[in-house]
Amino acid sequence: MSKFLRAVWDNTYGLLVDDGALALGALAAVAITWLFAVVATQAAEQLGGAVLLVLVCGLVIANLYTAGQNARRRAG
Amino acid sequence: MDVFNLAVAAAPSFVASSVEFVEALTIVLAVGTTRGWRAPLVGTALAALTLAVIVAVVGVALVTIVPRHLLQLVVGVLLLLFGLRWLRKAILRYAGVVAVHDEELIYQREIAELRAQGLRKAEWDWVGMLIAYKAVLLEGLEVAFIVIAFGATSIAALQHAVWGAIVAGVIVTAVGVALRQPLTKVPENTMKFGVGAMLTSFGVFWAAEGLGTAWPGDAVALFGILGSVLVVSWLAARMLGAMLPQGARVEARNV
Repeated sequence: MSKFLRAVWDNTYGLLVDDGALALGALAAVAITWLFAVVATQAAEQLGGAVLLVLVCGLVIANLYTAGQNARRRAG
Repeated sequence: MDVFNLAVAAAPSFVASSVEFVEALTIVLAVGTTRGWRAPLVGTALAALTLAVIVAVVGVALVTIVPRHLLQLVVGVLLLLFGLRWLRKAILRYAGVVAVHDEELIYQREIAELRAQGLRKAEWDWVGMLIAYKAVLLEGLEVAFIVIAFGATSIAALQHAVWGAIVAGVIVTAVGVALRQPLTKVPENTMKFGVGAMLTSFGVFWAAEGLGTAWPGDAVALFGILGSVLVVSWLAARMLGAMLPQGARVEARNV
């Protein structure tokens, strides 16, 4: 039973986190967007979504670049 | 049935759930083929019941109790994490860094393991039932998450997301029953790539809305976000293709 519950937990955690750096990066992107939304003027408020989108896109590129470098190193 | 909920709740829920149902079907088929059908079908039905309870309790509670902005933020962040995970893995599979999900290989491996365990005909097949229950529940948890996430904005959206998942389950099961073999022809990685991009886009949209920022054009902005995510993903796949020598790709695919 404990094995089964462990599998359920692992699966639930695994739903959201496969690569820790990517998950932390996504949370950091949301936090930065929140800061932007707090300090931004009313005119810049509409840019909050764009800020998050740019951060997420940058995160995808950076994370996959690192993954590619690691794969190339492993392949020798 | 309104077009908006059909597009943002039912359709993504249908596609994402299809992929998970295909994976669960592979295990249930392996159990049924090697040990008989009664126990795995009971296990599958019990798992489906468990998932229905999870969606009904968690989904309805979220939609009706949690304040809208907080719900958008929480669901947005969860969708972002979930979507980025799928997108990353799909891109790595396209580039050959991670081995492609092989339903036939999983099916054959499962059959070999089940045959090795043996079965005494006189007893109720608890092993077969539990394996099917576990497989459907674990894959189904992803379906439940997807349904709740896509349906979290309103009861109508939740209903559409539930129907999307039910239709996916019925179609995958019907095709599996008709063919009596794993659905190896389903382009799982392409579907996961598409769903990953959709989940990520919805995650960005709702997380930003939850933080109090407004999107120009409101929900229409989703198309722009999705387009941006798809372009960036395509660029990332090209980048990985350029970074990795052909030999490394072949080696990774053979893992």
